[in-house]
Amino acid sequence: MAEKIKPPRIRISRRIKKNKVFKVKVKFDHPSFTGLAMADDTTEPVFNRAKPVTFIRNMLVYYGDELVSRLSLSSGIADDPLFTFKLKATKEAPVKVVFIDNFGKRWEASKEIKFKG
Amino acid sequence: MNKFSQPFVYSFFFVCLLCQPLWAGTVEEEFKIEGIISIASTKALQSELLRQLDIKIIDLNLKKTDSGWPILRVQYNSDLITKDKIETVIGEIEDPAGHKYKVHKGPLIANAALTDEENQAISILGDIAVAFRQVKNPTIDHENSIKRGEEMFVKNCAKCHGLNGNGYGVVAHGFTTWPRQLWVWNNADTSADGYLFWILENGKSDMPPWGLVLSEKERWDLINYIKTIKPPGDE
Repeated sequence: MAEKIKPPRIRISRRIKKNKVFKVKVKFDHPSFTGLAMADDTTEPVFNRAKPVTFIRNMLVYYGDELVSRLSLSSGIADDPLFTFKLKATKEAPVKVVFIDNFGKRWEASKEIKFKG
Repeated sequence: MNKFSQPFVYSFFFVCLLCQPLWAGTVEEEFKIEGIISIASTKALQSELLRQLDIKIIDLNLKKTDSGWPILRVQYNSDLITKDKIETVIGEIEDPAGHKYKVHKGPLIANAALTDEENQAISILGDIAVAFRQVKNPTIDHENSIKRGEEMFVKNCAKCHGLNGNGYGVVAHGFTTWPRQLWVWNNADTSADGYLFWILENGKSDMPPWGLVLSEKERWDLINYIKTIKPPGDE
Protein backbone atom coordinates (compact mmCIF):
# COMPACT_ATOMS: atom_id res chain seq x y z
CA MET A 1 0.00 0.00 0.00
CA ALA A 2 2.64 2.41 -1.11
CA GLU A 3 0.34 4.84 -2.87
CA LYS A 4 -0.97 7.80 -0.91
CA ILE A 5 -4.67 7.59 -0.18
CA LYS A 6 -6.58 10.82 -0.57
CA PRO A 7 -9.16 11.83 2.04
CA PRO A 8 -12.82 10.92 1.36
CA ARG A 9 -15.23 13.37 -0.27
CA ILE A 10 -18.80 14.13 0.82
CA ARG A 11 -21.63 15.37 -1.38
CA ILE A 12 -24.82 16.68 0.13
CA SER A 13 -27.84 18.34 -1.42
CA ARG A 14 -27.66 22.13 -1.35
CA ARG A 15 -31.30 22.55 -0.36
CA ILE A 16 -31.87 20.99 3.01
CA LYS A 17 -34.98 21.80 4.98
CA LYS A 18 -35.37 21.37 8.69
CA ASN A 19 -36.76 17.96 9.76
CA LYS A 20 -36.57 16.65 6.19
CA VAL A 21 -34.54 13.64 5.11
CA PHE A 22 -31.49 14.37 3.01
CA LYS A 23 -29.08 12.17 1.13
CA VAL A 24 -25.36 11.96 1.85
CA LYS A 25 -22.92 10.52 -0.65
CA VAL A 26 -19.40 9.63 0.43
CA LYS A 27 -16.70 8.63 -2.03
CA PHE A 28 -13.47 7.16 -0.76
CA ASP A 29 -10.71 6.03 -3.10
CA HIS A 30 -9.28 3.21 -1.03
CA PRO A 31 -8.01 -0.13 -2.33
CA SER A 32 -9.59 -3.36 -1.18
CA PHE A 33 -7.74 -6.62 -1.47
CA THR A 34 -8.14 -9.95 0.29
CA GLY A 35 -4.39 -10.47 0.04
CA LEU A 36 -4.83 -13.79 -1.73
CA ALA A 37 -4.27 -14.92 -5.31
CA MET A 38 -4.07 -18.19 -7.22
CA ALA A 39 -0.70 -18.44 -8.95
CA ASP A 40 -0.72 -22.14 -9.78
CA ASP A 41 -3.56 -23.85 -11.57
CA THR A 42 -1.80 -27.17 -12.12
CA THR A 43 -3.16 -28.75 -8.96
CA GLU A 44 -6.16 -28.13 -6.79
CA PRO A 45 -7.11 -24.45 -6.45
CA VAL A 46 -5.11 -23.20 -3.49
CA PHE A 47 -4.64 -19.52 -2.86
CA ASN A 48 -1.34 -18.11 -1.78
CA ARG A 49 -0.66 -14.77 -0.18
CA ALA A 50 0.00 -12.23 -2.86
CA LYS A 51 -0.10 -8.84 -1.18
CA PRO A 52 -0.89 -7.56 2.31
CA VAL A 53 -4.62 -7.64 3.03
CA THR A 54 -6.13 -4.17 2.75
CA PHE A 55 -9.69 -3.04 3.39
CA ILE A 56 -11.79 -0.43 5.16
CA ARG A 57 -12.71 -1.87 8.54
CA ASN A 58 -15.08 0.69 9.97
CA MET A 59 -17.02 3.68 8.75
CA LEU A 60 -18.37 5.97 11.45
CA VAL A 61 -20.95 8.67 10.77
CA TYR A 62 -21.28 11.63 13.12
CA TYR A 63 -24.01 14.28 12.93
CA GLY A 64 -22.82 17.10 15.10
CA ASP A 65 -21.30 15.47 18.16
CA GLU A 66 -23.57 12.45 17.96
CA LEU A 67 -22.42 9.13 16.51
CA VAL A 68 -25.34 8.07 14.34
CA SER A 69 -24.03 5.01 12.51
CA ARG A 70 -21.21 2.50 12.30
CA LEU A 71 -20.64 0.34 9.26
CA SER A 72 -18.53 -2.74 9.93
CA LEU A 73 -16.94 -3.68 6.60
CA SER A 74 -14.78 -6.50 5.30
CA SER A 75 -12.34 -7.26 2.48
CA GLY A 76 -15.38 -8.13 0.34
CA ILE A 77 -16.00 -4.43 -0.22
CA ALA A 78 -15.18 -2.89 -3.62
CA ASP A 79 -12.18 -0.76 -4.43
CA ASP A 80 -12.94 2.96 -4.16
CA PRO A 81 -16.42 2.52 -2.69
CA LEU A 82 -19.28 5.01 -2.85
CA PHE A 83 -21.59 5.06 0.17
CA THR A 84 -25.02 6.65 0.09
CA PHE A 85 -27.22 7.03 3.14
CA LYS A 86 -29.97 9.27 4.41
CA LEU A 87 -30.16 11.44 7.50
CA LYS A 88 -32.90 13.52 9.03
CA ALA A 89 -31.96 17.19 9.19
CA THR A 90 -32.71 17.89 12.84
CA LYS A 91 -30.02 20.51 13.43
CA GLU A 92 -27.51 22.74 11.71
CA ALA A 93 -24.31 20.86 12.40
CA PRO A 94 -21.53 19.20 10.45
CA VAL A 95 -21.86 15.66 9.09
CA LYS A 96 -18.58 13.90 9.63
CA VAL A 97 -17.60 10.55 8.17
CA VAL A 98 -14.59 8.68 9.54
CA PHE A 99 -12.96 5.71 7.81
CA ILE A 100 -10.57 3.35 9.58
CA ASP A 101 -8.78 0.63 7.64
CA ASN A 102 -7.41 -2.71 8.83
CA PHE A 103 -4.04 -1.15 9.65
CA GLY A 104 -5.75 1.30 12.00
CA LYS A 105 -5.18 4.27 9.68
CA ARG A 106 -7.84 6.96 9.86
CA TRP A 107 -9.34 9.35 7.32
CA GLU A 108 -12.20 11.78 7.76
CA ALA A 109 -14.31 14.25 5.85
CA SER A 110 -17.01 16.60 7.02
CA LYS A 111 -19.56 18.96 5.58
CA GLU A 112 -21.63 21.62 7.29
CA ILE A 113 -25.41 21.30 7.17
CA LYS A 114 -27.25 24.59 6.77
CA PHE A 115 -30.98 24.88 6.31
CA LYS A 116 -32.34 26.62 3.23
CA GLY A 117 -35.96 27.37 2.53
CA MET B 1 47.74 -45.06 -12.64
CA ASN B 2 49.14 -45.03 -16.16
CA LYS B 3 50.95 -42.08 -17.67
CA PHE B 4 47.97 -41.17 -19.91
CA SER B 5 45.46 -40.68 -17.08
CA GLN B 6 47.94 -38.95 -14.77
CA PRO B 7 47.59 -35.44 -16.38
CA PHE B 8 43.79 -35.66 -16.21
CA VAL B 9 43.83 -36.48 -12.53
CA TYR B 10 46.28 -33.68 -11.77
CA SER B 11 44.28 -31.17 -13.80
CA PHE B 12 41.09 -32.27 -12.03
CA PHE B 13 42.64 -31.58 -8.62
CA PHE B 14 44.00 -28.29 -9.93
CA VAL B 15 40.52 -27.18 -11.03
CA CYS B 16 39.15 -28.28 -7.68
CA LEU B 17 41.71 -26.15 -5.89
CA LEU B 18 40.82 -23.16 -8.04
CA CYS B 19 37.09 -23.52 -7.44
CA GLN B 20 37.37 -24.06 -3.70
CA PRO B 21 36.83 -20.40 -2.78
CA LEU B 22 33.72 -20.37 -4.97
CA TRP B 23 32.21 -23.38 -3.24
CA ALA B 24 33.15 -21.99 0.12
CA GLY B 25 31.04 -18.85 -0.63
CA THR B 26 27.96 -20.65 -1.95
CA VAL B 27 24.95 -20.00 0.26
CA GLU B 28 21.25 -20.73 0.17
CA GLU B 29 18.73 -18.09 1.06
CA GLU B 30 14.95 -17.90 1.31
CA PHE B 31 12.85 -14.87 0.38
CA LYS B 32 9.15 -14.36 1.08
CA ILE B 33 7.78 -12.83 -2.10
CA GLU B 34 4.91 -10.35 -2.33
CA GLY B 35 3.20 -9.68 -5.64
CA ILE B 36 2.80 -13.14 -7.14
CA ILE B 37 -0.74 -12.83 -8.36
CA SER B 38 -0.84 -15.10 -11.40
CA ILE B 39 0.89 -17.96 -13.19
CA ALA B 40 2.57 -15.44 -15.47
CA SER B 41 4.04 -13.55 -12.53
CA THR B 42 5.88 -16.64 -11.18
CA LYS B 43 7.52 -17.22 -14.56
CA ALA B 44 8.36 -13.55 -15.04
CA LEU B 45 10.06 -13.29 -11.65
CA GLN B 46 12.23 -16.36 -12.15
CA SER B 47 13.31 -15.59 -15.70
CA GLU B 48 14.12 -11.96 -14.91
CA LEU B 49 16.10 -12.90 -11.80
CA LEU B 50 18.19 -15.40 -13.76
CA ARG B 51 18.76 -12.82 -16.48
CA GLN B 52 19.96 -10.14 -14.11
CA LEU B 53 21.87 -12.13 -11.49
CA ASP B 54 24.23 -15.07 -11.49
CA ILE B 55 22.19 -17.18 -9.13
CA LYS B 56 20.55 -20.57 -9.12
CA ILE B 57 16.85 -20.80 -8.29
CA ILE B 58 16.23 -23.94 -6.27
CA ASP B 59 12.46 -23.58 -6.12
CA LEU B 60 9.56 -21.17 -5.75
CA ASN B 61 7.17 -22.74 -3.28
CA LEU B 62 3.68 -21.27 -3.60
CA LYS B 63 1.85 -23.57 -1.26
CA LYS B 64 2.00 -24.95 2.22
CA THR B 65 4.56 -22.46 3.45
CA ASP B 66 4.52 -21.63 7.15
CA SER B 67 3.85 -17.94 6.65
CA GLY B 68 1.50 -18.34 3.68
CA TRP B 69 3.78 -16.21 1.50
CA PRO B 70 5.37 -17.86 -1.56
CA ILE B 71 8.99 -18.70 -0.74
CA LEU B 72 11.76 -18.33 -3.27
CA ARG B 73 14.86 -20.40 -2.46
CA VAL B 74 18.04 -19.40 -4.27
CA GLN B 75 21.69 -20.41 -4.22
CA TYR B 76 24.36 -17.79 -4.87
CA ASN B 77 27.97 -16.96 -4.26
CA SER B 78 28.14 -14.66 -1.25
CA ASP B 79 31.53 -13.35 -2.39
CA LEU B 80 30.01 -12.01 -5.60
CA ILE B 81 26.40 -11.20 -4.68
CA THR B 82 24.87 -10.00 -1.45
CA LYS B 83 21.42 -10.75 -0.05
CA ASP B 84 20.56 -7.04 -0.22
CA LYS B 85 21.43 -6.98 -3.91
CA ILE B 86 19.02 -9.84 -4.60
CA GLU B 87 16.28 -8.07 -2.61
CA THR B 88 16.88 -4.86 -4.55
CA VAL B 89 16.68 -6.64 -7.88
CA ILE B 90 13.47 -8.44 -6.84
CA GLY B 91 12.00 -5.07 -5.87
CA GLU B 92 12.78 -3.63 -9.29
CA ILE B 93 11.26 -6.41 -11.37
CA GLU B 94 7.75 -5.89 -12.69
CA ASP B 95 5.28 -8.63 -13.48
CA PRO B 96 3.51 -8.71 -16.90
CA ALA B 97 0.69 -6.55 -15.52
CA GLY B 98 3.15 -3.88 -14.36
CA HIS B 99 3.02 -4.64 -10.61
CA LYS B 100 6.29 -4.72 -8.74
CA TYR B 101 7.39 -7.62 -6.59
CA LYS B 102 8.65 -7.11 -3.08
CA VAL B 103 10.43 -9.17 -0.45
CA HIS B 104 8.06 -9.46 2.49
CA LYS B 105 9.53 -8.67 5.88
CA GLY B 106 8.07 -8.66 9.34
CA PRO B 107 4.79 -10.13 10.55
CA LEU B 108 1.63 -9.92 8.50
CA ILE B 109 -0.72 -7.25 9.83
CA ALA B 110 -4.08 -8.55 8.70
CA ASN B 111 -6.10 -6.62 11.24
CA ALA B 112 -4.52 -4.19 13.67
CA ALA B 113 -5.96 -3.65 17.15
CA LEU B 114 -9.12 -1.53 17.30
CA THR B 115 -8.52 2.16 17.85
CA ASP B 116 -10.03 4.08 20.79
CA GLU B 117 -12.53 5.71 18.46
CA GLU B 118 -13.73 2.33 17.17
CA ASN B 119 -14.00 0.91 20.68
CA GLN B 120 -16.03 3.92 21.73
CA ALA B 121 -18.33 3.54 18.71
CA ILE B 122 -18.83 -0.15 19.49
CA SER B 123 -19.68 0.65 23.10
CA ILE B 124 -22.33 3.14 21.92
CA LEU B 125 -23.90 1.23 19.04
CA GLY B 126 -23.11 -2.39 19.87
CA ASP B 127 -20.56 -4.78 18.44
CA ILE B 128 -22.45 -6.41 15.63
CA ALA B 129 -25.64 -5.40 13.91
CA VAL B 130 -27.25 -8.76 14.58
CA ALA B 131 -27.16 -8.52 18.36
CA PHE B 132 -30.41 -10.37 18.96
CA ARG B 133 -31.79 -9.14 22.19
CA GLN B 134 -33.58 -11.48 24.51
CA VAL B 135 -37.27 -10.98 23.89
CA LYS B 136 -40.31 -12.62 25.37
CA ASN B 137 -43.37 -13.41 23.34
CA PRO B 138 -46.13 -11.38 25.04
CA THR B 139 -49.02 -13.18 23.29
CA ILE B 140 -51.68 -14.66 25.56
CA ASP B 141 -54.47 -15.53 23.13
CA HIS B 142 -52.49 -17.66 20.65
CA GLU B 143 -55.47 -18.80 18.55
CA ASN B 144 -56.59 -15.30 17.60
CA SER B 145 -53.01 -14.14 17.24
CA ILE B 146 -52.36 -16.90 14.67
CA LYS B 147 -55.51 -15.91 12.75
CA ARG B 148 -54.38 -12.28 12.61
CA GLY B 149 -50.89 -13.41 11.68
CA GLU B 150 -52.21 -15.48 8.78
CA GLU B 151 -54.08 -12.48 7.38
CA MET B 152 -50.95 -10.38 7.59
CA PHE B 153 -48.87 -13.15 6.06
CA VAL B 154 -51.13 -13.38 3.00
CA LYS B 155 -51.14 -9.61 2.67
CA ASN B 156 -47.45 -8.87 3.23
CA CYS B 157 -45.31 -11.99 3.04
CA ALA B 158 -46.84 -14.49 0.61
CA LYS B 159 -45.75 -12.60 -2.53
CA CYS B 160 -42.15 -13.56 -1.80
CA HIS B 161 -42.30 -16.46 0.64
CA GLY B 162 -45.23 -18.19 -1.09
CA LEU B 163 -48.69 -18.86 0.30
CA ASN B 164 -47.54 -22.08 1.94
CA GLY B 165 -44.17 -20.62 2.99
CA ASN B 166 -42.17 -22.62 0.46
CA GLY B 167 -40.05 -19.62 -0.58
CA TYR B 168 -41.37 -19.59 -4.15
CA GLY B 169 -43.67 -16.60 -4.14
CA VAL B 170 -44.77 -14.94 -7.37
CA VAL B 171 -42.02 -12.32 -7.24
CA ALA B 172 -39.33 -14.53 -5.71
CA HIS B 173 -37.56 -15.18 -9.00
CA GLY B 174 -36.50 -11.54 -9.13
CA PHE B 175 -34.25 -11.77 -6.08
CA THR B 176 -30.59 -12.68 -5.95
CA THR B 177 -31.33 -15.06 -3.06
CA TRP B 178 -34.46 -17.18 -2.81
CA PRO B 179 -36.67 -16.21 0.12
CA ARG B 180 -36.48 -18.46 3.16
CA GLN B 181 -38.66 -21.54 3.36
CA LEU B 182 -40.61 -20.62 6.42
CA TRP B 183 -41.65 -24.12 7.46
CA VAL B 184 -38.19 -24.49 9.06
CA TRP B 185 -39.66 -22.54 11.99
CA ASN B 186 -42.53 -24.99 12.45
CA ASN B 187 -43.03 -25.58 16.18
CA ALA B 188 -39.83 -23.65 17.00
CA ASP B 189 -39.40 -23.02 20.72
CA THR B 190 -38.95 -19.65 22.42
CA SER B 191 -35.18 -19.60 21.72
CA ALA B 192 -35.95 -18.65 18.09
CA ASP B 193 -38.09 -15.66 19.13
CA GLY B 194 -35.19 -13.20 19.39
CA TYR B 195 -33.89 -14.11 15.93
CA LEU B 196 -37.32 -14.03 14.23
CA PHE B 197 -38.27 -10.77 15.88
CA TRP B 198 -34.98 -9.16 14.84
CA ILE B 199 -35.25 -10.33 11.22
CA LEU B 200 -38.85 -9.10 10.98
CA GLU B 201 -37.95 -5.80 12.56
CA ASN B 202 -34.77 -5.06 10.60
CA GLY B 203 -35.06 -7.15 7.44
CA LYS B 204 -32.33 -9.20 5.84
CA SER B 205 -30.89 -9.29 2.32
CA ASP B 206 -33.80 -8.33 0.02
CA MET B 207 -36.38 -8.47 2.81
CA PRO B 208 -37.40 -4.99 3.96
CA PRO B 209 -37.45 -3.97 7.63
CA TRP B 210 -41.05 -4.70 8.61
CA GLY B 211 -40.46 -2.89 11.88
CA LEU B 212 -41.18 0.30 9.95
CA VAL B 213 -44.56 -1.01 8.75
CA LEU B 214 -45.92 -3.38 11.36
CA SER B 215 -46.44 -2.71 15.02
CA GLU B 216 -44.75 -4.86 17.66
CA LYS B 217 -48.01 -6.71 18.34
CA GLU B 218 -48.51 -7.40 14.65
CA ARG B 219 -44.97 -8.76 14.36
CA TRP B 220 -45.63 -11.17 17.22
CA ASP B 221 -48.85 -12.28 15.51
CA LEU B 222 -46.83 -12.97 12.40
CA ILE B 223 -44.20 -14.94 14.32
CA ASN B 224 -46.93 -17.01 15.97
CA TYR B 225 -48.38 -17.82 12.56
CA ILE B 226 -44.97 -18.60 10.99
CA LYS B 227 -44.40 -21.20 13.69
CA THR B 228 -47.55 -23.01 12.55
CA ILE B 229 -46.51 -23.31 8.86
CA LYS B 230 -45.94 -27.00 8.24
CA PRO B 231 -43.51 -28.54 5.76
CA PRO B 232 -45.00 -30.33 2.72
CA GLY B 233 -46.21 -33.80 3.62
CA ASP B 234 -47.03 -32.82 7.19
CA GLU B 235 -50.17 -30.95 6.09
